[in-house]
Amino acid sequence: MARLKQKGKAGAAKAYVTRSAAVKKLQISLADFRRLCILKGIFPREPRHRKKANKGSSVPTTFYYAKDIAYLAHEPVLRKLREHKAFAKKLSRAIGRGEWSTAKSLDDHKPTYRLDHIIKERYPTFIDAVRDIDDALCMIFLFANLPATSRVSTALIDNCTRLAAEWQLYISHSHSLRKVFLSIKGVYYQAEVMGQTVTWLVPYQFTQNVPADVDVRVMLTFLELYQTLLGFVFFKLYTDAGLVYPPPLDSKKDDAAAGVGAFSLQQVTEPHISGAKRNLEPKVSAKDVRQTIKTISSEVAGDEQTDNLAEEDEDMTAEEDFVPQPSKSNPEEAAVLSTFKSLSAQEGSAIANLFTPYTFWLSRETSRPLFEFVVRAFGGKIGWPASSGSGSPFEETDGSITHVIIDRPFVERSSETQEERERRLQRKYIQPQWVIDCINAGKILLEDNYAQGKPLPPHLSPFGNYEGAYDPTAAGLGDDVQMSEEESDEEEKEVEADEDGPGSRLAALVADATEDPDALRVAELTAEAAGIDHGAFEREVKKTKKAKGKPTPVPVDTEEDMNKMLMSSKKRKLYERMKYGQRKKDTERTKLEQRRKELDGVKGRRKKESVVHSQT
Amino acid sequence: MASVSNSRKRKATAAAPVPKDEQQLSASALEMLSEDEQDEEPESDDGDYEEFPEIDIASDTDDEEDEDVDEEEEDYSSDASGSDTQLPIFPKAKVVISDITGEPKKIYPEIEPDYDSDSSTEDDPNRVGNVPMHWYDDMPHIGYDINGRKVLRPLVGDELDKFLKTQEDPSAWMSALDKNTQTEKQLSPEELDLIRRLYQGENPDAGYDPYEPTVEWFTGKGKEEIMPLSAAPEPKRRWIPSKWEKQKVMKIVRAIRQGRIVPSKPKTSSTESRFYAIWSDPTPSLNPPPLPAPKPRLPTHAESYNPPEEYLPTEEERKEWEGTDKEDRERDFLPQKYSALRLVPAYDQFIQQRFGRQLDLYLAPRIQRTKLRIDPNSLIPKLPSPNSLKPFPTYKCLSFSHGASRLRCISASPDGAWVISASEDGTISLWEVIVGREVKKWSASGKVGSVSWCPNQESYYFIVGLEGRLEFFIPPNLPPSLYTFTKKFLAPATLPPQPAAPSPLKWTSSSDPEKPLLVIANLSGLVKQISWHPRGDYFATVSSDGGVWIHQVTKRHSQSPFKKIKGTVQMVLFHPKKPNFFVATQTYVRLYNLSEQKLIKTLMPGIKWISSMSVHPSGEHIIVGGYDRKLCWFDLELSDKPYKILRYHARAIRSLHFHPTYPLFASSSDDGTVQIFHARIYHDLMTDPLIVPLKILRGHTVKDGLGVLQVEWVPRQPWLLSAGADGKVDLWCS
Repeated sequence: MARLKQKGKAGAAKAYVTRSAAVKKLQISLADFRRLCILKGIFPREPRHRKKANKGSSVPTTFYYAKDIAYLAHEPVLRKLREHKAFAKKLSRAIGRGEWSTAKSLDDHKPTYRLDHIIKERYPTFIDAVRDIDDALCMIFLFANLPATSRVSTALIDNCTRLAAEWQLYISHSHSLRKVFLSIKGVYYQAEVMGQTVTWLVPYQFTQNVPADVDVRVMLTFLELYQTLLGFVFFKLYTDAGLVYPPPLDSKKDDAAAGVGAFSLQQVTEPHISGAKRNLEPKVSAKDVRQTIKTISSEVAGDEQTDNLAEEDEDMTAEEDFVPQPSKSNPEEAAVLSTFKSLSAQEGSAIANLFTPYTFWLSRETSRPLFEFVVRAFGGKIGWPASSGSGSPFEETDGSITHVIIDRPFVERSSETQEERERRLQRKYIQPQWVIDCINAGKILLEDNYAQGKPLPPHLSPFGNYEGAYDPTAAGLGDDVQMSEEESDEEEKEVEADEDGPGSRLAALVADATEDPDALRVAELTAEAAGIDHGAFEREVKKTKKAKGKPTPVPVDTEEDMNKMLMSSKKRKLYERMKYGQRKKDTERTKLEQRRKELDGVKGRRKKESVVHSQT
Repeated sequence: MASVSNSRKRKATAAAPVPKDEQQLSASALEMLSEDEQDEEPESDDGDYEEFPEIDIASDTDDEEDEDVDEEEEDYSSDASGSDTQLPIFPKAKVVISDITGEPKKIYPEIEPDYDSDSSTEDDPNRVGNVPMHWYDDMPHIGYDINGRKVLRPLVGDELDKFLKTQEDPSAWMSALDKNTQTEKQLSPEELDLIRRLYQGENPDAGYDPYEPTVEWFTGKGKEEIMPLSAAPEPKRRWIPSKWEKQKVMKIVRAIRQGRIVPSKPKTSSTESRFYAIWSDPTPSLNPPPLPAPKPRLPTHAESYNPPEEYLPTEEERKEWEGTDKEDRERDFLPQKYSALRLVPAYDQFIQQRFGRQLDLYLAPRIQRTKLRIDPNSLIPKLPSPNSLKPFPTYKCLSFSHGASRLRCISASPDGAWVISASEDGTISLWEVIVGREVKKWSASGKVGSVSWCPNQESYYFIVGLEGRLEFFIPPNLPPSLYTFTKKFLAPATLPPQPAAPSPLKWTSSSDPEKPLLVIANLSGLVKQISWHPRGDYFATVSSDGGVWIHQVTKRHSQSPFKKIKGTVQMVLFHPKKPNFFVATQTYVRLYNLSEQKLIKTLMPGIKWISSMSVHPSGEHIIVGGYDRKLCWFDLELSDKPYKILRYHARAIRSLHFHPTYPLFASSSDDGTVQIFHARIYHDLMTDPLIVPLKILRGHTVKDGLGVLQVEWVPRQPWLLSAGADGKVDLWCS
């Protein structure tokens, strides 16, 4: 006889543990358990049968995989947390006794933990890590903008600012920014790094305070993990790009509020062994390409051409190295750099260099970090007044400025020197949205719609919507209907004209032949034989199809309704759910379409009124 | 300091008769003191006058002046020990020889009860002590004096007098009510000061100085001990370095030399060393990579700072959004439009939403869902088109009205030419199917529960079930041969022999043409169902009280097949081919073998209350309908459980019927509709029966919550008869 199965010894009862059981097993406080879960990325699971998992009880609880908890029990960080608990006791004891030297030496040897192994464990490959840095970036950018308080230390804010700057530097260096969206929540950026789309949200530049209903400890734990993760990811990204990580910070510039410009990108003089290995393959291919180009061009034009090419290459590197610093690039470095460039150029190089021919000047009321980053990421040059911080590469009077990003209403200036006037006429004054819309459109848009003081066209999300959603870009739906009506009118007229001729015969011919393709073919042949031209035949077919299309679906629908009776309840529920979702989407779309129509109607009326007014 | 040294000196002076000049002593403090002490030591042993409290007084931090005074007093006491008056605390006792005993005894002086004495000398007139004074509230007196006489309550004016008193007397504010005497008592300035001090949280003692300088009794300059306390020689360990300490130190030194301990290790604050190429060596991990967290939804047009105008919420939408709870909102923001980027404010929910995301990341269970990307219409089963399954009734051919009362029962003749229908008020009509012409009308004496036409083709009659009786009728205008045969069949000249066990039911024939030809009486309750055996000899009846009878027409005999039935019987049916008998109770359908008299199986439809059932002509399938809208299809060979459960009627199912020849069945319901199904059964056991819904017939009106009460197929034709609560019989033709 087989062994009797005992209750609670197998299956869901064994695979899951409740949170309180887990805490009890690990012998830690709930706060420490939460911290561990955040760091290790352990989240609750939903058992298929809650009652089975909780030994017959249906109390609302959270469940974890028993194995997850078992792994947690061997976590080095857990040991450190316990050590820290002991340390905290010792320290408070020493302080309570007034043993300051003991307290100091204890504090010097405070147990600290590292999260390297957790990073490696959670993200076995680099791609995994890059895929998951969205939240990390959001948090880093948020904390970079927060004021330091007693709970959020200055060092933490500084580190976050530094990481944010490093990320922006890398993105603009690699030209991997793809989409930008100005939303009411903040600015959404989307970049493509290592084939992964990374989206992050940056709040607008205002001082925010951590509200009372937010648990800062949770956020700080996340931040701890995110800082480490981003450190490793950036290290890899920088070294792969042949750059020194961390980029050296010029504290003088930083004090003068140079922002991202305070960091300078440096090429690695002695490339890492591992980095070199990685770059080996593309390097060879790039060289091959250049050599083949050389051989081709040498056949055509000789040595001069090759020199030119090399010069171009150098120019490009100088451009890319956008931080104004004397570049003492030797040919080796250039080679390394070009390999990366050639890699990045494969994908969307046209968009990546969208702003290359342009030079921008930021008016003082626009946000400098936003546009400095965006314009540089797309290859443009940008300058700003001293009030926005130091480090502007050129002055306002610079002749090379093509666009001025300005965000204030247009005011006629009475006292304007000749020089100023000329300058004003040379440059294009555009509102900030133009830059973002150009990026999202992937081309340079007409500046006139975005001119200073003009009402802006709507700013649309580049991320799109679900399929079948309302599309505001579709030119007026009402127009479409009108168009089709007109078309049909024309058709009818034509048909009427034909009516007494061969048209009636044709109609009769087509009427009974539209359903079957074979019959249609036969009808076409007979029509041809009868001397009716092909265009007329096609039109007739379309018309009859249209006419037939309307009544047929009704019986089909009822039939399907009847067939629904025989669906299994599982399928029926699924069907109902899908239909519900569809209906919801449809109502939303129709609502928006209707509102659009109403708005268009109001606009049209206004226009007419204004026309009437102008006439009278 | 000076005073301290003085007090010390004074001890010495007490020993030495000649008082020394203080100035001199302090000048040569150190040596003199040592001398003094050496002098003092032997003498202090027998000096009993030296009092211990001296130190206590010093530790009680008082003013220096007080101290001096005390010292002076002590001095006096030590000098002039005889004077009693000068010593208030310790009155000296006189030693007197007792007259009685002859022993010397101590006589203390009479205690003067003044302020210094323990007992209060205040002349308190009221001697009740510390008792609640409200005890005396109702009394004319307020206590007793020392002699036990009542102390009368002093005259107290009313509130106005009190007020006037306060107005007149400028010092009224510093008087308080003495509870003991019930009179206002003036407070002294000291008491007022005490109150003020208490009120301000100060020390109540006015003379207390919390900041007086400390008195160094044993330390400080000039008080260093020179001579050792013990004459023992100093131990060796005091000056020889410890061996064990050396060993411990050497251990650390060695560790430092070997680099195991790094003294004053520099803190690793810089980030440079922290990061390295962690992904350089691709170590394959044993575990699968953890499930990545789902990415948050990307923003849509509505979230733009400058969205198209149609996205902006109307006033009602805005109010509705603000009115709903945060958790119930469909989206966490309201679209807003700003004319310029500089006008966009900070998003006030930014941190909350970030925090919410983090809560999701570590608190929300994650489930991997496969998203179905299918057309929902593909879930609908593909069935043959109803057009290909013709004929079936599609339209109302004619309608036969029976007046206002409900029609509960109809029956079509076996040749499909006639219909008998009976309404609740007792009118029974016979009419022709094709034209709807009424041929004859009977009116029954009571409520009609059921009508049924005999399926036998040779005889031509129908039975009407009434309250407690069954009546047999022959329709008019029959061919004479058929008429005579039927009459002979129902009312034979020679009655069949009585069975051994006579039944309580009575069979009586009559020859009156207006009256029913045959009557079975003595049934209990209204006969609500008559079910014929296909051969037309046997029929079963179900009464409203649940009694089941099986009647045999040829033998004119009735018998009750069941002694006792569990549950109330709803319906009975004969198996079309076997000697089996279906009995539907409220929740089960039981199948009995009549010849062997045993239960074959129990079908469990899972219906709360069975209303009707019908057997397929093959006898292998049965459909059961219930008041809970369910229709169950049973394959008798397959299982006791339904093969298919359909729920398509909006209200209770009232009646079901399989067509005897066509592969059709119909169901009627209280929602006023009749549904036609195609039901094809395949002879090979592998293929499931095909059920195709064909048509919904609407035409009856729902009256009092009742719709179509019975449906019956016209034999040999794909036509359907339906009787409704609206008093009409409809004929549906193909």
